[in-house]
Amino acid sequence: MTLDDRLLDVRGATVRYAPGRAAVDGADLRLTCGRVTALLGPSGSGKSSLLRAIAGLEKLDGGEIRFENNVWSAPGVHLPPEQRRCGVVFQDYALFPHLTALDNTAFGLRGGSRAQRRAQAMQRLIAVELEERAHAYPHQLSGGEQQRVALARALAPGPDVVLMDEPFSGLDRRLRTDLRATTARALRQSAAATLLVTHDAEEALALADTIALMSEGRIIQTGAPDALYLRPASLTAARLLGEIEVFDATVSNSHAATPLGGAPAPGFADGAPVCVLVRPESIQVRRADGDGALATITERRAGVGQLRLVCQMSDGREVMARTLLSARHRQGDAVRLSLDPDAVHVISASAA
Amino acid sequence: MAVNPLMRQAYPVWPALIAAIACAAPLVAVAALAVSGEWTGYLTHLWSTRLPDYLLNTVQVTLISGGLALALGSGLAWLVARYEFTGRSVFEWLLALPLAVPAYAAAYGWFDLTQAGGPLGMLPTVRGATGAGLILGLTLYPYVYLLAREAFSGQSADAYEAARTLGARPREAFLRAAMPMARPAIAAGLALVVMETLADYGAVAHLGAPTLTVGLIRAWAGEGATADAARLALMLVAIAFVIFALERGQRARARQTSASGRRRPARRIQLPPVRGLAAAALCLSPVLLGMVVPLGRLAYRSLSAPVTRDLVSAAQNAVLLAVIAGVLAAILGLAAAYALRTGTRSGAVAARVAGLGYAVPGAVAAIGVLAILGLLQSWMDAAWATLFGGLFPVVLTGGIAALIFAYLSRFAAAAIGPADSALSRVTPALDGAARTLGASANETARRVHWPLITQGALLAALLVFVEVLKELPATMILRPFNFDTLAVIAHNYASDERLGEAALPAVLIAAVALPPMIWIARRIVRAEAVRAEATGAEAGR
Repeated sequence: MTLDDRLLDVRGATVRYAPGRAAVDGADLRLTCGRVTALLGPSGSGKSSLLRAIAGLEKLDGGEIRFENNVWSAPGVHLPPEQRRCGVVFQDYALFPHLTALDNTAFGLRGGSRAQRRAQAMQRLIAVELEERAHAYPHQLSGGEQQRVALARALAPGPDVVLMDEPFSGLDRRLRTDLRATTARALRQSAAATLLVTHDAEEALALADTIALMSEGRIIQTGAPDALYLRPASLTAARLLGEIEVFDATVSNSHAATPLGGAPAPGFADGAPVCVLVRPESIQVRRADGDGALATITERRAGVGQLRLVCQMSDGREVMARTLLSARHRQGDAVRLSLDPDAVHVISASAA
Repeated sequence: MAVNPLMRQAYPVWPALIAAIACAAPLVAVAALAVSGEWTGYLTHLWSTRLPDYLLNTVQVTLISGGLALALGSGLAWLVARYEFTGRSVFEWLLALPLAVPAYAAAYGWFDLTQAGGPLGMLPTVRGATGAGLILGLTLYPYVYLLAREAFSGQSADAYEAARTLGARPREAFLRAAMPMARPAIAAGLALVVMETLADYGAVAHLGAPTLTVGLIRAWAGEGATADAARLALMLVAIAFVIFALERGQRARARQTSASGRRRPARRIQLPPVRGLAAAALCLSPVLLGMVVPLGRLAYRSLSAPVTRDLVSAAQNAVLLAVIAGVLAAILGLAAAYALRTGTRSGAVAARVAGLGYAVPGAVAAIGVLAILGLLQSWMDAAWATLFGGLFPVVLTGGIAALIFAYLSRFAAAAIGPADSALSRVTPALDGAARTLGASANETARRVHWPLITQGALLAALLVFVEVLKELPATMILRPFNFDTLAVIAHNYASDERLGEAALPAVLIAAVALPPMIWIARRIVRAEAVRAEATGAEAGR
């Protein structure tokens, strides 16, 4: 058996704050030690509640959470949070205001002398490049420094599970990129199963080995980042990971016809209503003398390394496409649009 | 907000329920006693004799003291919050110190100075409703000052600046933007002043302005009828609750107005030297008039007074009572604050009921405790009679325990505020952090909560300590036989026109109350500075 086989298993977890709609409504999730799982969903989807339930900060109203062979939460069972060996990085970091960075980091360490514990905590601070700020109090630290102390503190006791609740949300973009790298390195060194709760698809794609998509209290799809991006199981799942174009179509001969061309639809019966999902970068934009459906560029906006085009087709429908920034398209140009048949994904209309 | 299960488990509501019962029981007992028997007879009698006078005096004294405290408190708060001048950082806390002076001590001092033949005999003698109102206003204005200053240095300053950029002149901006924003805070301070004025006995009795509280004590002492006193007490409570309700109405508005925006320190305007000196003089005057002058006079008078053994034991008693009440009030205040934190309905109700206490004048609380004791006695007598025949052999007087009970029912409310704001530093996420790092609920309380709340708890305890030290009417009514406090012997000498001997205990009260009051005032001022610095640093990033 390898480390990878140690599992945190969440089955049918339900958290209800008040009678009525549940915040977490039968969520299934599996975290593997040594891997990072991102829990991605819009705000209000129940991500934080699920995280808190795993940490033992909320009781389950249904379902169960077990780690290896131990039941952590189930109806009538609630292992107190201090016995779960879960390190949590809270959204606002929750650093203890009366303790220095070093003492915050040493808070969860047990056993050994005080000097040993402090030395151990210092190692953790060095790992996040904060040894110089060890004796500063939280209010003297910048947001990024606070985040790193929170991470060092959560990792210090050597937890089996690390839970991070929107850990980069309060930081500016550049800092976020730096911290992501530091965080990824620190997490890789620990053998813990990590859950990263976020509403930022880019963050999930950048950090996670596995992504779980959450919507309205349920986990709607789990998988590798690229698989989820390219082959979402539903329209909701597709939208959580980025912009998407949707074409309604009917299958004939294992093909779904769209205004931009046919898409392979293997496994669907003839006449089945389907949705063809296309990411904007999979829509090929060619000059008007090429192949494809005729359209006019109505909006052109330069982004980071890419060009975002809104194209109006002859039937009035607007389609979004992304090309390289270097592509020479101008507003008002007539272009032809077609699909990259390898990059489209067809789902049943009922899954939309 | 959702109920956090960690909180629900870790913090029981029952201590707060005890606090709530301690505050509510005397009130209920007063009400029950007041309407017992032939209760309209006494009031009808009183209405045709002294009640109109009591009511008139109460209204006059309250209007004058409230008006003076409002003008002094909010005016000085604006000066200190918005302008920079010589000595401003000292005046910031110095202006709160008259709270350490019991109103009756100031009354003795001023009366002694201005009576015919006194050193300031050429001035009109400080007496009657006007005199009492002025004395109470001068010693109680810091309630308005402290709360208004905080409001003026925060959001209200932003509103003022916004109004100026929209073309309002300073005066207009103050009246139309700054004042409305600070109004809930000022109203809260003013309500405290009015409550204290209604509760005062020593000053109004000495200066000959018999208010309802004086009438209540006369009913209890002169005619010895607790039930009659309870009838007046109920009337007093009714007035206090109207004030309370008005203030709560303002507070509901405060929630709406404080929702947005980051607090930052307002930049103060530097006053030119001459106007700066004028501002300093303005700040100095209430401190002189409310504290230095009357205490100076009393100190001078007490030079010739003998130190008796009575005085020493009275001082010990006073400090002992104040310490016990302070510690217990801090505990009850924390209990109420924790109960609020559980987010449960019973917790919120308990904390709110305990918070009503500050509307209960000390004399009323004392009569309530007497009523409870009377009730217990009659139950005991009845039980004893059926079991053994005859009366219960012990007469329940309650002693010090009853006194502490009355203090708590009045002052536990004062401890809830500081305890709650101390506890607000302990966010639920901190609990979660500590627990997930392996600390049990008890360990979390010890390693996270305790270090964060000790200062707030100390503040609460000291506030109550100072209040109990100054307290007179409840102590007079409930003190055990031969048990005197400084306040009681000062009052007894003063009412015998022996001001020379009343001076020393009165000065001693202020002397004991001043050091904690200085600590309290400086801490309140500094806490804000730290908070402003923290948010400022965050904003600067």
